[in-house]
Amino acid sequence: MSNDALRLRPPNHRVDRRAVGWWTTQALSVTVVLTAIPVVPALIWEPVRFWFLVAAGVVGGIGLLITLVMPQWRYRVHRWEITDTAVYTSSGWLWQEWRVAPMSRIQTVDTARGPLQRAFGLSSVTVTTASAAGPIEISGLDHTLATEVADQLTDSTEAVPGDAT
Amino acid sequence: MTSHDDHRPEEPVPNVARPEADPTTADQHAPDPSPPGQDAPAETGEPTGDWPGLSPLSVWADTAIVALFMVPTAIVATVVLVVADQPLWALLPLPATGAFIALMTFLDMLRLRAVRYRVTADRMEMRSGIIAKAYRSIPRERVRSVDVAAPIYVRVFGLCTVTVGTGEKVGSGADQLKLEFVTAEQGERLRRELLRRAGSAGTSRAPEEGEDEPVDEDGTELARLDPRWFAYAPATTATFGIGLGVIAALLGANAQSGGHGWAWISEQAGLPGSQQMADFVMSRLLLVVPLFLVGLLLSGVVILLLAAVETWWNYRLTRESDGTVRLRRGLLTSVSLSVEGRRLNGVVLHEPFVLRSVRGASIQAVATGLEGGDDKKTSAKSRLSPAMPRSRARALGAALMRQERSPLDVPLATHPRAALRRRFTRATFVTLAGVALAGGLAWLHMVATESWWELARTIEEHVIPIPLVVESVEATPGWGWFSLAIVLGVLAFWYAVGSYRGLGHGLHPEYLVLRKGMGVRDTVTLERSAVIGWRITRSPFQRRLGLADVSATTAAGAGMYSALDVGMGQGLAWADEAVPELLAPFLERPEANGETEGSRPTLLP
Repeated sequence: MSNDALRLRPPNHRVDRRAVGWWTTQALSVTVVLTAIPVVPALIWEPVRFWFLVAAGVVGGIGLLITLVMPQWRYRVHRWEITDTAVYTSSGWLWQEWRVAPMSRIQTVDTARGPLQRAFGLSSVTVTTASAAGPIEISGLDHTLATEVADQLTDSTEAVPGDAT
Repeated sequence: MTSHDDHRPEEPVPNVARPEADPTTADQHAPDPSPPGQDAPAETGEPTGDWPGLSPLSVWADTAIVALFMVPTAIVATVVLVVADQPLWALLPLPATGAFIALMTFLDMLRLRAVRYRVTADRMEMRSGIIAKAYRSIPRERVRSVDVAAPIYVRVFGLCTVTVGTGEKVGSGADQLKLEFVTAEQGERLRRELLRRAGSAGTSRAPEEGEDEPVDEDGTELARLDPRWFAYAPATTATFGIGLGVIAALLGANAQSGGHGWAWISEQAGLPGSQQMADFVMSRLLLVVPLFLVGLLLSGVVILLLAAVETWWNYRLTRESDGTVRLRRGLLTSVSLSVEGRRLNGVVLHEPFVLRSVRGASIQAVATGLEGGDDKKTSAKSRLSPAMPRSRARALGAALMRQERSPLDVPLATHPRAALRRRFTRATFVTLAGVALAGGLAWLHMVATESWWELARTIEEHVIPIPLVVESVEATPGWGWFSLAIVLGVLAFWYAVGSYRGLGHGLHPEYLVLRKGMGVRDTVTLERSAVIGWRITRSPFQRRLGLADVSATTAAGAGMYSALDVGMGQGLAWADEAVPELLAPFLERPEANGETEGSRPTLLP
């Protein structure tokens, strides 16, 4: 049924290439921390050293695999597009998500950048609607581009009347 | 007992005569146009003509309820101390309680003087706070619901609580304005005034339709309590659970008394010892077990009936001439909830499993301004009817939506067979887990030695007056565990089929319709114009099977309503048709563009 029917086309723009570095760093730091947790008792506690090292190896192996695969995968999936009438994004890697919000229902537009994103010169644009489904986030944009996008969105939403509910 | 912003003892400078707009609570979207009294040196928010305050009786209502609980406690404490031969200490409880109540009353009087509210042509304003001043202002067009509640201890004073919901989702507590307490007639006037907006665009379709229904001065009546509906109240899965809860509470009390409670009862009643009782029960299992279950059922039924009567007594649902839908209910706490007509974006036909099997259902609102903290609270707050016959609930839903052809009657499309396959996979995992658990338990059963059983029996004797469980477990053969696993597996697959059958989605000219659920089947209707976006999610398994979850996001109700495991193309076509031109620019047909999902077009910025 679904084979001959409609499909979502990918949004027009990819996120910045530097986002791959950002995601890699993120995944790597989480992996290092999680691997270190079983290593500490292994160093202190002689009799169980072997099993804790095995646990650390498993956690570290899975973490490294994710670190290698996830950023490339995300880079292929994460996309965004802003038309005159709507914001359209796709994100995720194993679990993927597409979001559409019409311009007339957008309540607020923010840009945000954590310390790690800043190190890579990146920013996120967060678009909030009145729904409890959570905001739409375009992460990993070039900082200047993100500011432009946010300004453009703010201008377009102000032009549309209504209380956005 | 007080509103959100009162009492901030950490504020260092008391008596600053400057009612300042609290940035966390004042309305964020509309910076208030210099509210009156903003820079006037108004001391402690004194009444200024058109700023009514709370009813002075509310202090007495609060005092009465505090006294009602504390004075008997104090008297008991005094008696206990006298009996325990501590005469000096016995002098303490009553005066201390008196002083405490006096202090509470005094603070409450301060609060009473501080809280002032008023309704102007376009805003509702409220000032509160004894030490830290708070000023809150809500544009009237943002008022979505007005909730007037009168618990019994407030009602005897002729008072009520008014809660004004705005549907804003800016932080917690910021979306509500609460007045505790005003007189009943003030509450009624507020309710009428706040939701009346002359010439409001959204209510314009009120007059022309629905004129065939009976109209009195209260508006059109949509539903009124039929006492026979209470028969549906015990039809929940909780009935047994509540009965078990009662038994567990009794057992807990017995264990607290170290088993003396039961010993005393059995002595008074001349019952034989617990060992003889156990033997007696074991020899007549066929009689005792059904009796025990009937007992559980009866205690659950009684409690649920009482709860339903307290909640739904005097139930009345009306639509007033301005389109506002008004719910009135309650025996001890009488509740009146009003929802602006155009904020009611749809209904939910709510059918929990047991209720569904006796052809009952209830109706909930999909409306802005009724949000609780989470889905469960939202659902509880949105109830518009008690459990009633399903046909009656469907008719009520249709009447609420004012549609010629009820959206609840729209034929729903089934979801692909792959959705059933996913549910079968889950059921298989549950069954395998059950078998593994049964294997483990059977193994434990085999290796268990007599001393283990002895220990288990000792523990049980401390908890239950008539020990039966361990003995019957010991008597069960090893394969008994596997028959339990088989029952679990059958149930899991039956549940899978049921939840697949529950899935459905459809379209009405004005509404989109969604259905899902086995344990609780909810049929949701949502006005197409209330959809403020789409969210499509796919797990790796769904991608392999060509499925997706397609969710409409909205400001009303739970905020998002999903068609689960719908065929990707099927779901997108449905969403595209439901809200034309929103999704259309982002859709493609594979024929027109023959690329696979993996390869992306090279459209870089």
